[in-house]
Amino acid sequence: MTSWLQDPSLMAAILTTWLPFVSFLLIIVFTRDHRRLSAGLSIAAVTGSLAGAVFLLARHWSAGEPIHYAASWLIAGDIYIPFGFLLDPLSLLMLSLVAVISFLVQVYSLGYMADDPGFSRYYAFQSLFAWAMMSLSISSAMLQLYVFWELVGLSSYLLIGFWYERFSATQAGKKAFVMTRLGDVSFFIGILLVLLHVGNLEILKLNSPEIAARMPSGLLTLAALLIFGGIVGKSAQFPLMTWLPDAMEGPTPVSALLHSATMVAAGVYLLARLFPFLSQSADAMTVFLAIGTISMLLASTMAMVSRDIKRVWAYSTISQLGFMIMGLAAGSLFAGTFHLTTHAGFKALLFLCSGVWVHLYETNDVYEISGRGGQRLKTPMVCLIIAAAALSGLPPLSGFFSKEVILASLAGLSNPLWLAAGLFGVFLTAYYAFRLVFIILFPWQEVRQESSHHETGRMRTLYWAMGLPLVILSGVTLVLGFLETPLREFLLGGKAAHPNRDLVWLPYLSVGLAALGVSLAWFEFGRRAATQIGFVERIPPLRDLFAQNWYLDHLYRKLVDIVIDGIFSRGCSKNEDKVINEGIDGFSRFTLDSGRFFSLLQSGKLRYNLIVMFAALALVALYFLISE
Amino acid sequence: MSLYAAIFYLLATVILTATGLAITRRQPIHAVLYLIVAFLGTAALFFLLGAPLLAAFVVILYAGAIMVLILFVIMLLQRSPRELGLMPQWGHATLLGIVFLAVAIAMVFKDPGSGIVLQGAVAQPKDFGRFLFERYWLAVEIVSILLLVALVAIIQVARGRGTSGDEAERQTNPVRNSDGTLYPGGVVSKSTLAAEQQGIVSNGGKEGHP
Amino acid sequence: MIVPFGHVFLLAGLIFSMGLVCLVAHRNLIMTLVGVEVMMNAAAIAFVAAALRWQLMEGQAFVLFILAVAAAEVSVGLALVVGAYRRTGSLDPDHYDILKG
Repeated sequence: MTSWLQDPSLMAAILTTWLPFVSFLLIIVFTRDHRRLSAGLSIAAVTGSLAGAVFLLARHWSAGEPIHYAASWLIAGDIYIPFGFLLDPLSLLMLSLVAVISFLVQVYSLGYMADDPGFSRYYAFQSLFAWAMMSLSISSAMLQLYVFWELVGLSSYLLIGFWYERFSATQAGKKAFVMTRLGDVSFFIGILLVLLHVGNLEILKLNSPEIAARMPSGLLTLAALLIFGGIVGKSAQFPLMTWLPDAMEGPTPVSALLHSATMVAAGVYLLARLFPFLSQSADAMTVFLAIGTISMLLASTMAMVSRDIKRVWAYSTISQLGFMIMGLAAGSLFAGTFHLTTHAGFKALLFLCSGVWVHLYETNDVYEISGRGGQRLKTPMVCLIIAAAALSGLPPLSGFFSKEVILASLAGLSNPLWLAAGLFGVFLTAYYAFRLVFIILFPWQEVRQESSHHETGRMRTLYWAMGLPLVILSGVTLVLGFLETPLREFLLGGKAAHPNRDLVWLPYLSVGLAALGVSLAWFEFGRRAATQIGFVERIPPLRDLFAQNWYLDHLYRKLVDIVIDGIFSRGCSKNEDKVINEGIDGFSRFTLDSGRFFSLLQSGKLRYNLIVMFAALALVALYFLISE
Repeated sequence: MSLYAAIFYLLATVILTATGLAITRRQPIHAVLYLIVAFLGTAALFFLLGAPLLAAFVVILYAGAIMVLILFVIMLLQRSPRELGLMPQWGHATLLGIVFLAVAIAMVFKDPGSGIVLQGAVAQPKDFGRFLFERYWLAVEIVSILLLVALVAIIQVARGRGTSGDEAERQTNPVRNSDGTLYPGGVVSKSTLAAEQQGIVSNGGKEGHP
Repeated sequence: MIVPFGHVFLLAGLIFSMGLVCLVAHRNLIMTLVGVEVMMNAAAIAFVAAALRWQLMEGQAFVLFILAVAAAEVSVGLALVVGAYRRTGSLDPDHYDILKG
């Protein structure tokens, strides 16, 4: 390893990932009581990380080969597990994305969490998360990635249950942790499987073609499916998807950072990271495609009937992640990654805009926000419209470009079913996104006059803190789409296949469907005479199905009751009672009884003592006789 | 079979019969009397086996002193014959006896030297005496000390131990348990008796074991 | 030329087991002592026979000692029996079970 003080890239990588950790430690140990100091430390650290990330991105923009720093960690026989940094286009892109969004969210939180008693703790956890997520992005070996994967899950738990006095928040935190843990178990088994067969967990090695020769295809598919289990958990795909809507119990900036842009995107990032390895198995890719499609459609339907503004965006996140997985599983690395990038931008924007209203009116309900005059706040409203348009895939916003790439890759598949599903998803997305926009924009009844909160100077500063990130993100959303080609070249390193020019009709079809969705939403929610009741809500069974998350939570409850409580818990308690307790009791009872038995020898009677004495004598004589 | 062999088997029969009768009597006095017969038979056997002095000693000491002593003690106990002759319990004892006998027979037949026919010989008293005092004088002295010790012990035991003044009382009023059976021993004083009658002291292990 | 040595030994063994039976079967302490005497008698016979077999006089010397010890032991034993009888009024060893466990 080159001397780390002299290599600026290594230095930058170390600083980028470890500054937030230092800040976390300092805040937890020293500055719990000093709110401003904590916030200052955390934001300074993340600014440093942002600078480092941008520096690395600029420095390695046109580097051909990935830069790899590794130190030996675990070596046993022919098993070699290193840890280190892997700086290639994909990881640097993710690193920058995480740094930018973390920075903006931490600035935003200055305003959002200003009156909260747990201010310092919040920034400590934000730093923890930043450290874990950034280290995850540039990890060079699977085990190291897994460690930071778990750490990210931990910070998610801590931040979801941040307002721990609320029972629902702690429940949501637990649910998130346990569900993602289920996925992580399968992920770890997949890693073990790979380790056993290949002996090496370095990502570069895993992605090289000779690995396919080392692992038999059945095992490769199995390992791929197991690793995908972790992705299902972390990215809230079907069937482990119900934790994400409940995770909205956390503060809105947390939802913006973790549960839309970065943490849940870690699953998709993993898929992209191991793309050459996983794509060796066509069966696994088909399974990924199917699960992505199911998640996308299911979540879109759930979003159509929800009244809670944050839950709508949560379902939307699930749906868009499914969309990204579809793109990746269809064989195009760039499709999924590009959509990941743009999605981070506009989804965070959506959450942050919603956060302004949630903070102001202290309610999550859309109708109430609308009724109390939410539409009068111009910055959030305009940014919301921009972000929703991007989500729906309307040109010339970034979402349009990234969705096109995904749909193009879907069209390249032999089965037209996937493309049809993708297009249907586009329609539904546009519908539910603009349903929300129109509900807020056009209130049902006369708006009550609320006093303006912009009076005091301190409030002004805080609202600027919240407003600035919104503006920045809107700008990014507007511009990012046009960077498609340079990004494609950067990511695929010049070996990029040019996009398919035959599918000219595809963009028009998708935009048309999006427009159809928008107009349906306008018809039902936006018109002057609209009833603001969606078409789904008119069909009660359908509405209930969507509202109850397709009864997934009920299924899980039943599963836990019957399988886990009924079989495992009861089995274990029976084991404890009958086997362990009985065993120990039996042992002590045996001791007592044998003692009682032997006490019969002590009859106290002379005759019996004599009998025993002479019997022993006879036995001794017998012994000598036999051993003659 | 020579004359000596015939005599031997006759004597063996006598001894065995007498001993068998002795051990199966219920009255100790009868048993002792049969045992005297057995000892006389033993003495004759010793004559046959060439130990005349020992034969004399057996008659004088064993049959003459020891058995008489036992008879005296039986008469000293002042119990009715009915009380003395308790029903013996043959079960375990017979089993044990048979086991022992089996082992003994096995041992005898295993030994190759047991087929050697005994040659007649006599140890004259004079020679025996000289032999004894020349070679084993120390053992003789020690045995005499043993007899002295036994004498002292008997006198001490027969005098009775325990606190003075209680002996007469114990003989006339033996201590009884709360259920009427006799208190089986230990030092007893009036205060202990009183406490026990109040039920404080446990009555000799007759309670149930926890 | 008398009898094979084994026969005498067998006689001694028989007498010994009879003494053993007497010792453990009777519920009278006196009979216990009688049993002990019978066993000693058997031992004496065995020793005398052994002395004749090996043509040594040590065996007979030992019989003398056995006699002496038997005398001492029986007297002490009887003294104890008398003492025990005085204390408890019973000669049945089954009544002496304070040490019952």
